[in-house]
Amino acid sequence: MTRPRSAGPAVGDPLPTLTIPVTATLIAAGAIATRDFMPVHHDRDYAAEQGAPDIFMNILSDTGYCSRFLTDWAGPDAMVTRLAIRLGVPVFPGHTLVYTGEVAGCSVQGDEDVVEVAFRAATDLGDHVTGTATLTLPHHR
Amino acid sequence: MGAETLDDELQALVGQPVGRGGPSVAPDPVNQPMIRHWAAAFDDRNPVYVDPAAAASSRFGGIVAPPLMLQTWTMPTPTLAGIAGRGGSPVEQDGDTALSVLDRAGYVGTLATNSEFEIVRYLRLGDVVSATTVFASISEEKQTRMGRGRFVTWVTTYTVEPDEVVGRQTFRILKFEPGGAPS
Repeated sequence: MTRPRSAGPAVGDPLPTLTIPVTATLIAAGAIATRDFMPVHHDRDYAAEQGAPDIFMNILSDTGYCSRFLTDWAGPDAMVTRLAIRLGVPVFPGHTLVYTGEVAGCSVQGDEDVVEVAFRAATDLGDHVTGTATLTLPHHR
Repeated sequence: MGAETLDDELQALVGQPVGRGGPSVAPDPVNQPMIRHWAAAFDDRNPVYVDPAAAASSRFGGIVAPPLMLQTWTMPTPTLAGIAGRGGSPVEQDGDTALSVLDRAGYVGTLATNSEFEIVRYLRLGDVVSATTVFASISEEKQTRMGRGRFVTWVTTYTVEPDEVVGRQTFRILKFEPGGAPS
């Protein structure tokens, strides 16, 4: 969904929920696409030796999904200028990871809208990621 | 006192580079195949990453790399043989690092807690990224839910030749003594 061009974002606007059914393939693909070859992100036997029940998602994948969550909503003309995340419970295959968020602030600077977003990504175990982000958008006309 | 010695040793690291040998230079310039691979892995359909026509008509004026792919460009090319025996470290490391100082002090556990990015500009095809990482702070010992530990924060500055800053990342980990959590 792309932000409607007829109106700028407003504080409290929800972002469309992003639901990710997490599989081992998805975790391994994200790790390798981000050049993170730590075996805990692709080798279940190694993860078990480290005391984890399975492979788990790497942090570069988290920031990747955060940026997708933001620009799926804001559209291709959005620029992500800041992202700050706090890491919570790990994500394993079989989990469903759900990103939710809302507009927390809006301002106009020059010919751009500056939008602050507060968001979280959670599974049944709790918050995996909580964070805030700043995007700029060419000011709607 | 030993504690003072350790604190002194750790505080001396603040402002010092993490790792040796100067900046990490991306082994490849920003390129379409790696971007396409990344976009597929995260099922990110943003056309400015892969569609030249759509990208040309966007504010960016051409293909750009996903902003949060910034860290990926300078990730080391791994030596896969023996990676498990190195605790997952992608490349051979010799000598002491600041983290081994903490390991020796008993803080052998590692938990990443925060990652923060400032994106100055989006990367374009052909950009060659370098990363320089320094210790920003090492906290005093704190009691955490994982046990006794110290928070270690480092800041990476990403540049494109010759010295244009394109982004910064602040990363924080907790180094902790496993098994020390309050019951």
